[in-house]
Amino acid sequence: MGPLFTGTDEWTLVISLVIGIGFGYILESAGFSSSRKLVGVFYGYDFSVIRVFFMAAVTAAIGLAYFGYLGWIDLSAIYINKFYLGSTILGGIFMGLGFIIGGFCPGTSVCAASIGKIDAIIFIGGVMIGSLIFSLAYPLYANFYTSGAKGAVTIYDMIGISKELAIFIFVVFAVITFYFTAEIQKKISEKSHKY
Amino acid sequence: MDNIKSIKKRYILMSILLIGLALLLLILPERDSSKELEPEKLLFEIIDKNHFVTTDYVADRIINNDNYVILIDIRQPEEFANFSLPGAINIPLNNILDKTESGEYKWKDYLNNDTKKNIFYSNGNTYSNQAWMITRRLNYKNNYIMEGGLNKWKETILDPQRPKNEADNNELTLYNFRKAAKLFFVGGDTKYSSDDSETVKNKPAPIINKNNKKNEDEGGC
Amino acid sequence: MKNQKKYMNSYLAGVLLGLLILFSFYLTREGLGASGAYKRVVAKVEHIVVPSYIENTSSYFHKYIKDGKEPMKNRLVFMVIGAFIGGFISGGINNRLKLKVEHTPNITSKKRILFAAIGGILFGIGASFGRGCTSGAGLNGMAVMAVSGFVVVAFIFGTGYLTAWFFKKLWL
Repeated sequence: MGPLFTGTDEWTLVISLVIGIGFGYILESAGFSSSRKLVGVFYGYDFSVIRVFFMAAVTAAIGLAYFGYLGWIDLSAIYINKFYLGSTILGGIFMGLGFIIGGFCPGTSVCAASIGKIDAIIFIGGVMIGSLIFSLAYPLYANFYTSGAKGAVTIYDMIGISKELAIFIFVVFAVITFYFTAEIQKKISEKSHKY
Repeated sequence: MDNIKSIKKRYILMSILLIGLALLLLILPERDSSKELEPEKLLFEIIDKNHFVTTDYVADRIINNDNYVILIDIRQPEEFANFSLPGAINIPLNNILDKTESGEYKWKDYLNNDTKKNIFYSNGNTYSNQAWMITRRLNYKNNYIMEGGLNKWKETILDPQRPKNEADNNELTLYNFRKAAKLFFVGGDTKYSSDDSETVKNKPAPIINKNNKKNEDEGGC
Repeated sequence: MKNQKKYMNSYLAGVLLGLLILFSFYLTREGLGASGAYKRVVAKVEHIVVPSYIENTSSYFHKYIKDGKEPMKNRLVFMVIGAFIGGFISGGINNRLKLKVEHTPNITSKKRILFAAIGGILFGIGASFGRGCTSGAGLNGMAVMAVSGFVVVAFIFGTGYLTAWFFKKLWL
Protein backbone atom coordinates (compact mmCIF):
# COMPACT_ATOMS: atom_id res chain seq x y z
CA MET A 1 0.00 0.00 0.00
CA GLY A 2 1.33 3.37 -1.00
CA PRO A 3 2.92 5.76 -0.47
CA LEU A 4 5.89 3.47 -0.78
CA PHE A 5 8.69 5.80 0.22
CA THR A 6 7.97 8.32 2.90
CA GLY A 7 11.40 9.20 4.17
CA THR A 8 14.15 11.39 2.90
CA ASP A 9 16.20 8.35 1.97
CA GLU A 10 18.13 8.04 -1.26
CA TRP A 11 15.34 6.18 -2.99
CA THR A 12 13.05 9.16 -2.69
CA LEU A 13 15.70 11.26 -4.38
CA VAL A 14 16.17 8.81 -7.24
CA ILE A 15 12.42 8.52 -7.77
CA SER A 16 12.09 12.29 -7.69
CA LEU A 17 14.75 12.59 -10.36
CA VAL A 18 12.86 10.17 -12.62
CA ILE A 19 9.54 11.92 -11.95
CA GLY A 20 11.29 15.20 -12.68
CA ILE A 21 12.42 13.93 -16.08
CA GLY A 22 8.82 13.04 -16.88
CA PHE A 23 7.69 16.43 -15.59
CA GLY A 24 10.16 18.32 -17.78
CA TYR A 25 9.45 16.17 -20.81
CA ILE A 26 5.69 16.66 -20.60
CA LEU A 27 5.89 20.41 -19.99
CA GLU A 28 8.29 20.94 -22.87
CA SER A 29 6.26 18.73 -25.22
CA ALA A 30 3.13 20.66 -24.37
CA GLY A 31 4.89 23.86 -25.41
CA PHE A 32 5.36 25.26 -21.93
CA SER A 33 8.93 26.20 -22.72
CA SER A 34 7.57 29.22 -24.56
CA SER A 35 6.56 32.20 -22.48
CA ARG A 36 4.44 33.56 -25.31
CA LYS A 37 2.42 30.36 -25.39
CA LEU A 38 2.04 30.37 -21.61
CA VAL A 39 0.92 33.97 -21.41
CA GLY A 40 -1.57 33.34 -24.22
CA VAL A 41 -3.99 32.23 -21.53
CA PHE A 42 -4.33 35.83 -20.35
CA TYR A 43 -4.96 37.25 -23.80
CA GLY A 44 -7.23 34.49 -25.06
CA TYR A 45 -5.14 33.28 -27.96
CA ASP A 46 -3.91 30.10 -26.34
CA PHE A 47 -5.55 28.31 -23.46
CA SER A 48 -3.22 25.32 -23.27
CA VAL A 49 -2.14 26.33 -19.76
CA ILE A 50 -5.69 25.99 -18.49
CA ARG A 51 -6.17 22.74 -20.38
CA VAL A 52 -3.01 21.05 -19.18
CA PHE A 53 -3.43 22.43 -15.69
CA PHE A 54 -7.02 21.43 -15.06
CA MET A 55 -6.73 18.16 -16.96
CA ALA A 56 -3.77 17.18 -14.80
CA ALA A 57 -5.50 18.18 -11.57
CA VAL A 58 -8.71 16.35 -12.51
CA THR A 59 -6.85 13.23 -13.62
CA ALA A 60 -4.77 13.13 -10.45
CA ALA A 61 -7.78 13.80 -8.22
CA ILE A 62 -9.83 11.02 -9.81
CA GLY A 63 -6.83 8.70 -9.80
CA LEU A 64 -6.10 9.33 -6.13
CA ALA A 65 -9.73 8.71 -5.23
CA TYR A 66 -9.71 5.36 -7.05
CA PHE A 67 -6.36 4.39 -5.57
CA GLY A 68 -7.74 5.18 -2.16
CA TYR A 69 -10.94 3.27 -2.84
CA LEU A 70 -9.07 0.19 -3.97
CA GLY A 71 -6.85 0.40 -0.92
CA TRP A 72 -3.68 0.95 -2.94
CA ILE A 73 -2.75 4.16 -1.22
CA ASP A 74 -3.21 5.42 2.31
CA LEU A 75 -4.84 8.76 1.60
CA SER A 76 -4.30 9.96 5.14
CA ALA A 77 -0.55 9.70 4.63
CA ILE A 78 -0.26 11.96 1.60
CA TYR A 79 0.69 15.56 1.93
CA ILE A 80 -2.10 18.13 1.92
CA ASN A 81 -1.05 21.72 1.57
CA LYS A 82 -1.76 23.84 4.57
CA PHE A 83 -3.92 26.87 4.19
CA TYR A 84 -2.99 30.23 5.73
CA LEU A 85 -5.62 32.71 4.67
CA GLY A 86 -3.61 35.91 4.20
CA SER A 87 -0.30 34.42 3.24
CA THR A 88 -1.77 32.10 0.60
CA ILE A 89 -3.79 34.88 -1.00
CA LEU A 90 -0.89 37.34 -1.03
CA GLY A 91 1.33 34.63 -2.49
CA GLY A 92 -1.19 34.03 -5.25
CA ILE A 93 -1.31 37.74 -6.11
CA PHE A 94 2.47 38.02 -6.27
CA MET A 95 2.68 34.88 -8.38
CA GLY A 96 0.03 36.18 -10.76
CA LEU A 97 2.02 39.37 -11.26
CA GLY A 98 5.24 37.41 -11.67
CA PHE A 99 3.56 35.20 -14.25
CA ILE A 100 2.18 38.02 -16.41
CA ILE A 101 5.37 40.09 -16.21
CA GLY A 102 7.95 37.32 -16.36
CA GLY A 103 6.07 34.90 -18.58
CA PHE A 104 7.01 31.76 -16.68
CA CYS A 105 6.47 29.95 -13.45
CA PRO A 106 9.28 28.12 -11.65
CA GLY A 107 8.51 24.73 -13.20
CA THR A 108 8.14 25.90 -16.77
CA SER A 109 11.19 28.15 -16.58
CA VAL A 110 13.37 25.08 -15.96
CA CYS A 111 12.13 23.47 -19.17
CA ALA A 112 12.57 26.68 -21.10
CA ALA A 113 16.07 27.10 -19.74
CA SER A 114 16.91 23.54 -20.71
CA ILE A 115 16.23 24.23 -24.38
CA GLY A 116 18.24 27.43 -24.33
CA LYS A 117 15.82 30.25 -23.56
CA ILE A 118 17.98 32.98 -22.05
CA ASP A 119 14.97 34.87 -20.65
CA ALA A 120 14.07 31.74 -18.69
CA ILE A 121 17.53 31.54 -17.17
CA ILE A 122 17.17 35.17 -16.08
CA PHE A 123 13.72 34.37 -14.69
CA ILE A 124 15.21 31.56 -12.58
CA GLY A 125 17.79 33.99 -11.26
CA GLY A 126 14.94 36.34 -10.43
CA VAL A 127 13.08 33.64 -8.49
CA MET A 128 16.18 33.00 -6.42
CA ILE A 129 16.63 36.71 -5.73
CA GLY A 130 12.94 36.91 -4.81
CA SER A 131 13.31 34.02 -2.37
CA LEU A 132 16.36 35.70 -0.90
CA ILE A 133 14.52 39.01 -0.49
CA PHE A 134 11.67 37.18 1.21
CA SER A 135 14.03 35.43 3.60
CA LEU A 136 15.93 38.61 4.49
CA ALA A 137 12.82 40.62 5.23
CA TYR A 138 11.07 37.69 6.91
CA PRO A 139 11.02 39.20 10.44
CA LEU A 140 8.83 42.03 9.09
CA TYR A 141 5.96 39.71 8.32
CA ALA A 142 6.70 36.60 10.37
CA ASN A 143 3.39 37.02 12.17
CA PHE A 144 1.45 37.54 8.98
CA TYR A 145 3.08 34.50 7.42
CA THR A 146 1.67 32.16 10.05
CA SER A 147 -1.57 33.98 10.80
CA GLY A 148 -4.96 32.71 9.72
CA ALA A 149 -3.83 29.11 9.96
CA LYS A 150 -6.58 26.78 8.82
CA GLY A 151 -4.53 23.60 8.79
CA ALA A 152 -4.45 21.05 6.00
CA VAL A 153 -8.05 21.65 5.10
CA THR A 154 -9.71 20.20 2.02
CA ILE A 155 -12.46 21.79 0.03
CA TYR A 156 -14.98 19.03 0.81
CA ASP A 157 -14.40 19.31 4.54
CA MET A 158 -14.75 23.06 4.38
CA ILE A 159 -18.11 23.05 2.64
CA GLY A 160 -19.17 19.81 4.27
CA ILE A 161 -19.87 17.56 1.31
CA SER A 162 -18.52 14.14 0.47
CA LYS A 163 -15.17 13.91 -1.24
CA GLU A 164 -16.64 12.08 -4.21
CA LEU A 165 -19.22 14.78 -4.78
CA ALA A 166 -16.54 17.46 -4.58
CA ILE A 167 -14.46 15.68 -7.21
CA PHE A 168 -17.51 15.27 -9.41
CA ILE A 169 -18.28 18.99 -9.20
CA PHE A 170 -14.63 19.78 -9.95
CA VAL A 171 -14.68 17.54 -13.03
CA VAL A 172 -17.88 19.10 -14.34
CA PHE A 173 -16.41 22.54 -13.72
CA ALA A 174 -13.24 21.58 -15.61
CA VAL A 175 -15.19 20.22 -18.60
CA ILE A 176 -17.28 23.39 -18.77
CA THR A 177 -14.08 25.45 -18.62
CA PHE A 178 -12.58 23.39 -21.45
CA TYR A 179 -15.64 24.03 -23.59
CA PHE A 180 -15.79 27.79 -23.03
CA THR A 181 -12.07 28.38 -23.41
CA ALA A 182 -12.15 26.48 -26.71
CA GLU A 183 -14.99 28.71 -27.90
CA ILE A 184 -13.21 31.89 -26.83
CA GLN A 185 -10.00 30.81 -28.47
CA LYS A 186 -11.86 30.06 -31.70
CA LYS A 187 -13.45 33.50 -31.71
CA ILE A 188 -10.22 35.34 -30.97
CA SER A 189 -8.25 33.50 -33.61
CA GLU A 190 -11.03 34.18 -36.14
CA LYS A 191 -10.83 37.85 -35.25
CA SER A 192 -7.09 38.01 -35.71
CA HIS A 193 -7.40 36.25 -39.07
CA LYS A 194 -9.47 39.13 -40.37
CA TYR A 195 -6.69 41.61 -39.82
CA MET B 1 -13.89 19.16 -42.35
CA ASP B 2 -14.13 15.48 -41.45
CA ASN B 3 -10.93 15.85 -39.57
CA ILE B 4 -12.30 18.64 -37.42
CA LYS B 5 -15.43 16.65 -36.79
CA SER B 6 -13.49 13.63 -35.59
CA ILE B 7 -11.42 15.84 -33.30
CA LYS B 8 -14.60 17.29 -31.87
CA LYS B 9 -15.97 13.81 -31.37
CA ARG B 10 -12.87 12.85 -29.49
CA TYR B 11 -13.25 15.79 -27.12
CA ILE B 12 -16.84 14.89 -26.42
CA LEU B 13 -15.77 11.32 -25.74
CA MET B 14 -13.05 12.57 -23.42
CA SER B 15 -15.50 14.73 -21.48
CA ILE B 16 -17.95 11.87 -21.15
CA LEU B 17 -15.20 9.57 -19.95
CA LEU B 18 -14.07 12.07 -17.32
CA ILE B 19 -17.56 12.74 -16.00
CA GLY B 20 -18.33 9.03 -16.14
CA LEU B 21 -15.32 8.16 -14.02
CA ALA B 22 -16.23 10.82 -11.49
CA LEU B 23 -19.85 9.67 -11.47
CA LEU B 24 -18.81 6.07 -10.89
CA LEU B 25 -16.82 7.25 -7.89
CA LEU B 26 -19.94 8.91 -6.61
CA ILE B 27 -22.18 5.86 -6.89
CA LEU B 28 -19.72 3.19 -5.82
CA PRO B 29 -20.88 1.62 -2.57
CA GLU B 30 -19.00 2.93 0.39
CA ARG B 31 -16.22 0.63 1.28
CA ASP B 32 -15.90 -0.46 4.84
CA SER B 33 -12.65 1.21 5.71
CA SER B 34 -12.96 0.40 9.39
CA LYS B 35 -10.39 -2.33 9.21
CA GLU B 36 -8.82 -2.99 12.55
CA LEU B 37 -5.22 -2.16 13.09
CA GLU B 38 -2.77 -5.03 13.22
CA PRO B 39 -1.45 -5.67 16.73
CA GLU B 40 2.17 -5.44 15.56
CA LYS B 41 1.61 -1.99 14.18
CA LEU B 42 -0.18 -0.90 17.32
CA LEU B 43 2.69 -2.18 19.46
CA PHE B 44 5.15 -0.31 17.29
CA GLU B 45 3.21 2.91 17.70
CA ILE B 46 2.95 2.43 21.46
CA ILE B 47 6.71 2.05 21.73
CA ASP B 48 7.31 4.82 19.23
CA LYS B 49 5.43 7.30 21.48
CA ASN B 50 4.79 9.64 18.60
CA HIS B 51 1.25 10.10 19.85
CA PHE B 52 2.22 12.22 22.83
CA VAL B 53 2.09 15.98 22.77
CA THR B 54 3.28 18.19 25.59
CA THR B 55 1.18 20.50 27.73
CA ASP B 56 3.22 23.39 26.34
CA TYR B 57 2.17 22.45 22.84
CA VAL B 58 -1.49 22.34 23.87
CA ALA B 59 -1.22 25.70 25.65
CA ASP B 60 0.44 27.22 22.60
CA ARG B 61 -2.31 25.91 20.32
CA ILE B 62 -5.08 27.21 22.58
CA ILE B 63 -3.47 30.63 22.82
CA ASN B 64 -3.05 30.75 19.08
CA ASN B 65 -6.66 29.78 18.63
CA ASP B 66 -5.80 26.90 16.33
CA ASN B 67 -8.99 25.48 14.84
CA TYR B 68 -7.00 22.58 13.62
CA VAL B 69 -6.57 21.12 17.10
CA ILE B 70 -9.51 19.60 18.98
CA LEU B 71 -9.20 18.88 22.68
CA ILE B 72 -11.15 15.91 23.91
CA ASP B 73 -11.77 15.57 27.62
CA ILE B 74 -12.40 11.89 28.37
CA ARG B 75 -13.23 12.30 32.07
CA GLN B 76 -16.71 12.06 33.52
CA PRO B 77 -19.19 14.87 32.78
CA GLU B 78 -19.12 16.09 36.41
CA GLU B 79 -15.35 16.49 36.29
CA PHE B 80 -15.62 18.14 32.92
CA ALA B 81 -18.18 20.60 34.26
CA ASN B 82 -15.93 21.35 37.19
CA PHE B 83 -12.87 22.21 35.14
CA SER B 84 -11.85 21.76 31.55
CA LEU B 85 -9.46 23.25 29.07
CA PRO B 86 -10.87 26.05 26.90
CA GLY B 87 -12.71 24.75 23.88
CA ALA B 88 -12.52 21.11 24.89
CA ILE B 89 -15.35 18.71 24.16
CA ASN B 90 -16.35 15.96 26.55
CA ILE B 91 -16.43 12.32 25.45
CA PRO B 92 -16.25 10.20 28.62
CA LEU B 93 -14.11 7.11 28.25
CA ASN B 94 -16.94 4.70 28.97
CA ASN B 95 -19.06 6.31 26.25
CA ILE B 96 -16.38 6.27 23.61
CA LEU B 97 -17.82 3.24 21.82
CA ASP B 98 -21.45 4.32 22.01
CA LYS B 99 -23.41 3.54 18.91
CA THR B 100 -26.16 5.42 17.17
CA GLU B 101 -29.44 3.82 16.23
CA SER B 102 -28.07 2.85 12.85
CA GLY B 103 -25.26 0.92 14.45
CA GLU B 104 -22.47 3.33 13.65
CA TYR B 105 -20.03 4.47 16.26
CA LYS B 106 -21.47 7.68 17.58
CA TRP B 107 -18.21 9.58 17.89
CA LYS B 108 -16.63 8.33 14.69
CA ASP B 109 -16.92 11.66 12.92
CA TYR B 110 -15.01 13.30 15.72
CA LEU B 111 -12.46 10.63 16.41
CA ASN B 112 -11.60 9.54 12.91
CA ASN B 113 -10.54 12.74 11.31
CA ASP B 114 -8.55 13.42 8.19
CA THR B 115 -7.78 17.03 8.78
CA LYS B 116 -7.96 17.84 12.45
CA LYS B 117 -5.78 16.80 15.29
CA ASN B 118 -7.56 15.34 18.30
CA ILE B 119 -5.83 15.53 21.65
CA PHE B 120 -7.12 13.36 24.47
CA TYR B 121 -6.61 14.34 28.05
CA SER B 122 -7.67 13.10 31.45
CA ASN B 123 -6.22 13.76 34.88
CA GLY B 124 -3.17 11.62 34.31
CA ASN B 125 -2.05 9.40 31.49
CA THR B 126 -3.82 6.12 32.02
CA TYR B 127 -7.32 6.90 30.82
CA SER B 128 -6.27 8.93 27.84
CA ASN B 129 -3.87 6.15 26.92
CA GLN B 130 -6.74 3.70 27.02
CA ALA B 131 -8.89 5.95 24.88
CA TRP B 132 -6.07 6.36 22.41
CA MET B 133 -5.50 2.62 22.25
CA ILE B 134 -9.17 1.92 21.58
CA THR B 135 -9.35 4.47 18.79
CA ARG B 136 -6.12 3.20 17.29
CA ARG B 137 -7.44 -0.34 17.38
CA LEU B 138 -10.36 0.92 15.30
CA ASN B 139 -7.74 2.37 12.96
CA TYR B 140 -8.88 5.92 13.64
CA LYS B 141 -6.30 8.52 12.78
CA ASN B 142 -4.96 11.81 14.03
CA ASN B 143 -5.50 11.11 17.72
CA TYR B 144 -2.97 12.23 20.30
CA ILE B 145 -2.54 12.36 24.04
CA MET B 146 -1.64 15.33 26.15
CA GLU B 147 1.19 13.81 28.10
CA GLY B 148 0.72 13.85 31.86
CA GLY B 149 -2.86 15.06 31.59
CA LEU B 150 -4.26 17.83 33.76
CA ASN B 151 -1.86 17.05 36.59
CA LYS B 152 1.01 17.94 34.33
CA TRP B 153 -0.96 20.89 33.03
CA LYS B 154 -1.27 22.24 36.53
CA GLU B 155 2.37 21.61 37.23
CA THR B 156 3.76 23.17 34.06
CA ILE B 157 1.29 25.78 32.89
CA LEU B 158 -0.57 26.92 36.00
CA ASP B 159 2.39 26.70 38.34
CA PRO B 160 5.60 26.90 36.34
CA GLN B 161 8.85 26.46 38.26
CA ARG B 162 11.77 28.72 37.62
CA PRO B 163 14.49 26.66 35.91
CA LYS B 164 17.42 25.75 38.13
CA ASN B 165 19.87 26.31 35.40
CA GLU B 166 19.26 29.94 34.49
CA ALA B 167 21.94 29.86 31.87
CA ASP B 168 20.13 27.38 29.73
CA ASN B 169 18.50 29.46 27.08
CA ASN B 170 15.96 26.87 26.04
CA GLU B 171 14.76 26.28 29.57
CA LEU B 172 14.44 29.97 30.16
CA THR B 173 12.46 30.48 26.98
CA LEU B 174 10.17 27.64 28.00
CA TYR B 175 9.74 29.16 31.46
CA ASN B 176 8.87 32.53 29.99
CA PHE B 177 6.39 30.94 27.67
CA ARG B 178 4.77 29.11 30.58
CA LYS B 179 4.56 32.29 32.61
CA ALA B 180 2.83 34.04 29.73
CA ALA B 181 0.55 31.06 29.23
CA LYS B 182 -0.35 31.10 32.90
CA LEU B 183 -1.45 34.72 32.62
CA PHE B 184 -3.54 33.77 29.65
CA PHE B 185 -5.30 30.89 31.38
CA VAL B 186 -5.61 32.17 34.93
CA GLY B 187 -6.78 35.58 33.86
CA GLY B 188 -10.35 34.34 33.84
CA ASP B 189 -12.30 33.00 36.79
CA THR B 190 -11.37 29.40 36.23
CA LYS B 191 -11.02 27.30 39.29
CA TYR B 192 -8.89 24.23 39.16
CA SER B 193 -9.89 21.24 41.23
CA SER B 194 -7.14 18.78 41.75
CA ASP B 195 -8.63 15.57 42.93
CA ASP B 196 -5.95 13.19 41.84
CA SER B 197 -8.21 10.31 41.24
CA GLU B 198 -5.64 8.85 39.00
CA THR B 199 -2.12 8.46 40.21
CA VAL B 200 0.44 7.99 37.56
CA LYS B 201 3.79 7.83 39.18
CA ASN B 202 5.77 5.82 36.71
CA LYS B 203 5.66 8.35 33.94
CA PRO B 204 6.99 7.35 30.54
CA ALA B 205 10.12 9.03 29.36
CA PRO B 206 9.25 12.64 28.58
CA ILE B 207 9.25 12.58 24.86
CA ILE B 208 8.40 15.87 23.34
CA ASN B 209 6.95 15.49 19.95
CA LYS B 210 5.82 18.61 18.31
CA ASN B 211 6.16 17.72 14.71
CA ASN B 212 3.33 15.82 13.29
CA LYS B 213 5.32 14.21 10.52
CA LYS B 214 2.37 14.11 8.22
CA ASN B 215 2.03 17.83 7.95
CA GLU B 216 5.59 18.93 8.06
CA ASP B 217 5.98 22.19 6.22
CA GLU B 218 8.05 21.29 3.23
CA GLY B 219 8.53 24.83 2.03
CA GLY B 220 6.21 23.82 -0.74
CA CYS B 221 6.70 23.54 -4.39
CA MET C 1 -2.82 25.83 -36.72
CA LYS C 2 0.88 25.10 -37.05
CA ASN C 3 1.23 25.10 -33.28
CA GLN C 4 -1.01 22.11 -32.84
CA LYS C 5 1.22 19.91 -34.91
CA LYS C 6 4.31 21.18 -33.25
CA TYR C 7 3.27 20.62 -29.67
CA MET C 8 1.61 17.72 -27.95
CA ASN C 9 -2.17 17.98 -27.59
CA SER C 10 -2.80 19.91 -24.37
CA TYR C 11 -5.43 17.51 -23.07
CA LEU C 12 -3.16 14.55 -23.62
CA ALA C 13 -0.32 16.38 -21.91
CA GLY C 14 -2.69 17.14 -19.03
CA VAL C 15 -3.66 13.49 -18.61
CA LEU C 16 0.00 12.43 -18.67
CA LEU C 17 0.92 15.10 -16.16
CA GLY C 18 -1.99 14.03 -13.95
CA LEU C 19 -0.82 10.41 -14.02
CA LEU C 20 2.66 11.58 -13.16
CA ILE C 21 1.31 13.46 -10.13
CA LEU C 22 -0.67 10.37 -9.13
CA PHE C 23 2.43 8.19 -9.24
CA SER C 24 4.43 10.81 -7.43
CA PHE C 25 1.90 10.70 -4.60
CA TYR C 26 1.83 6.93 -4.72
CA LEU C 27 5.59 6.61 -4.51
CA THR C 28 6.69 9.55 -2.39
CA ARG C 29 3.45 10.85 -0.77
CA GLU C 30 4.05 14.23 -2.34
CA GLY C 31 3.44 15.67 -5.78
CA LEU C 32 5.47 17.86 -8.08
CA GLY C 33 7.37 21.00 -7.26
CA ALA C 34 10.03 23.40 -8.34
CA SER C 35 10.34 26.58 -6.31
CA GLY C 36 11.48 24.68 -3.21
CA ALA C 37 14.61 23.73 -5.12
CA TYR C 38 15.42 27.39 -5.79
CA LYS C 39 15.02 28.26 -2.14
CA ARG C 40 17.44 25.50 -1.29
CA VAL C 41 19.98 26.75 -3.79
CA VAL C 42 19.76 30.17 -2.14
CA ALA C 43 20.19 28.53 1.27
CA LYS C 44 23.20 26.62 -0.02
CA VAL C 45 24.82 29.77 -1.38
CA GLU C 46 24.10 31.58 1.90
CA HIS C 47 25.66 28.69 3.75
CA ILE C 48 28.85 28.98 1.71
CA VAL C 49 29.10 32.76 1.53
CA VAL C 50 27.75 33.93 4.90
CA PRO C 51 27.60 30.83 7.11
CA SER C 52 27.23 32.92 10.27
CA TYR C 53 23.97 34.43 9.01
CA ILE C 54 22.20 31.20 8.12
CA GLU C 55 23.47 29.39 11.20
CA ASN C 56 21.52 31.82 13.33
CA THR C 57 18.38 29.96 14.35
CA SER C 58 16.19 32.95 13.62
CA SER C 59 17.17 33.22 9.97
CA TYR C 60 14.48 32.03 7.61
CA PHE C 61 16.52 29.43 5.75
CA HIS C 62 17.94 27.95 8.93
CA LYS C 63 15.43 25.11 8.69
CA TYR C 64 17.22 23.82 5.60
CA ILE C 65 20.54 23.36 7.36
CA LYS C 66 19.52 22.65 10.94
CA ASP C 67 20.87 19.47 12.51
CA GLY C 68 23.59 19.36 9.89
CA LYS C 69 21.19 18.81 7.04
CA GLU C 70 22.39 19.24 3.50
CA PRO C 71 20.02 21.68 1.75
CA MET C 72 20.63 20.22 -1.69
CA LYS C 73 19.85 16.66 -0.63
CA ASN C 74 16.15 17.07 -1.18
CA ARG C 75 13.60 15.58 -3.51
CA LEU C 76 12.64 18.92 -5.04
CA VAL C 77 16.22 19.68 -6.01
CA PHE C 78 16.44 16.33 -7.76
CA MET C 79 13.07 16.87 -9.36
CA VAL C 80 14.20 20.16 -10.88
CA ILE C 81 17.41 18.56 -12.14
CA GLY C 82 15.19 15.86 -13.65
CA ALA C 83 12.91 18.47 -15.20
CA PHE C 84 15.91 20.11 -16.82
CA ILE C 85 17.00 16.78 -18.30
CA GLY C 86 13.45 15.94 -19.39
CA GLY C 87 12.97 19.32 -21.04
CA PHE C 88 16.28 18.95 -22.83
CA ILE C 89 15.33 15.50 -24.15
CA SER C 90 12.00 16.73 -25.43
CA GLY C 91 13.60 19.82 -26.95
CA GLY C 92 16.20 17.64 -28.64
CA ILE C 93 13.66 15.20 -30.06
CA ASN C 94 11.48 18.02 -31.36
CA ASN C 95 14.30 20.13 -32.68
CA ARG C 96 13.76 23.05 -30.40
CA LEU C 97 17.21 23.42 -28.87
CA LYS C 98 18.39 26.94 -29.56
CA LEU C 99 20.01 29.61 -27.46
CA LYS C 100 17.81 32.68 -27.75
CA VAL C 101 15.68 35.29 -26.03
CA GLU C 102 12.06 34.84 -26.96
CA HIS C 103 9.99 38.01 -27.25
CA THR C 104 7.46 39.70 -29.48
CA PRO C 105 8.85 41.79 -32.33
CA ASN C 106 7.49 44.87 -30.56
CA ILE C 107 9.96 44.85 -27.70
CA THR C 108 13.71 44.48 -27.52
CA SER C 109 15.60 41.54 -26.06
CA LYS C 110 16.92 43.79 -23.33
CA LYS C 111 13.44 44.78 -22.29
CA ARG C 112 12.32 41.15 -22.27
CA ILE C 113 15.29 40.20 -20.09
CA LEU C 114 14.55 43.03 -17.68
CA PHE C 115 10.92 42.02 -17.32
CA ALA C 116 11.83 38.35 -16.98
CA ALA C 117 14.02 39.32 -14.04
CA ILE C 118 11.29 41.45 -12.41
CA GLY C 119 8.73 38.70 -12.97
CA GLY C 120 11.08 36.15 -11.49
CA ILE C 121 11.64 38.22 -8.37
CA LEU C 122 7.90 38.71 -7.87
CA PHE C 123 7.33 35.02 -8.41
CA GLY C 124 10.04 34.15 -5.92
CA ILE C 125 8.40 36.30 -3.26
CA GLY C 126 4.96 34.94 -4.14
CA ALA C 127 6.07 31.31 -4.02
CA SER C 128 7.46 31.97 -0.55
CA PHE C 129 4.26 33.51 0.77
CA GLY C 130 2.13 30.90 -0.96
CA ARG C 131 4.29 28.05 0.38
CA GLY C 132 4.78 26.71 -3.13
CA CYS C 133 4.40 27.74 -6.74
CA THR C 134 1.93 26.92 -9.48
CA SER C 135 2.86 23.25 -9.39
CA GLY C 136 3.70 22.68 -5.75
CA ALA C 137 0.90 24.68 -4.22
CA GLY C 138 -1.57 24.94 -7.09
CA LEU C 139 -1.45 21.69 -9.01
CA ASN C 140 -0.75 19.35 -6.08
CA GLY C 141 -3.20 21.24 -3.95
CA MET C 142 -6.00 20.82 -6.47
CA ALA C 143 -5.12 17.14 -6.96
CA VAL C 144 -5.71 16.48 -3.26
CA MET C 145 -8.62 18.96 -3.21
CA ALA C 146 -6.87 21.22 -0.71
CA VAL C 147 -8.45 24.63 -0.19
CA SER C 148 -5.04 26.29 -0.45
CA GLY C 149 -4.53 24.84 -3.93
CA PHE C 150 -7.76 26.29 -5.28
CA VAL C 151 -7.18 29.63 -3.58
CA VAL C 152 -3.65 29.96 -4.99
CA VAL C 153 -4.79 29.05 -8.50
CA ALA C 154 -7.74 31.44 -8.33
CA PHE C 155 -5.49 34.31 -7.24
CA ILE C 156 -2.70 33.58 -9.71
CA PHE C 157 -5.07 33.55 -12.66
CA GLY C 158 -7.30 36.25 -11.23
CA THR C 159 -4.37 38.64 -10.81
CA GLY C 160 -3.10 37.69 -14.24
CA TYR C 161 -6.40 38.50 -15.91
CA LEU C 162 -6.93 41.71 -13.95
CA THR C 163 -3.50 43.08 -14.84
CA ALA C 164 -3.15 41.58 -18.33
CA TRP C 165 -4.27 44.80 -19.96
CA PHE C 166 -1.41 46.79 -18.42
CA PHE C 167 1.23 44.44 -19.74
CA LYS C 168 -0.19 43.72 -23.15
CA LYS C 169 2.63 45.58 -24.86
CA LEU C 170 5.01 42.96 -23.52
CA TRP C 171 3.21 40.11 -25.20
CA LEU C 172 1.03 41.23 -28.11
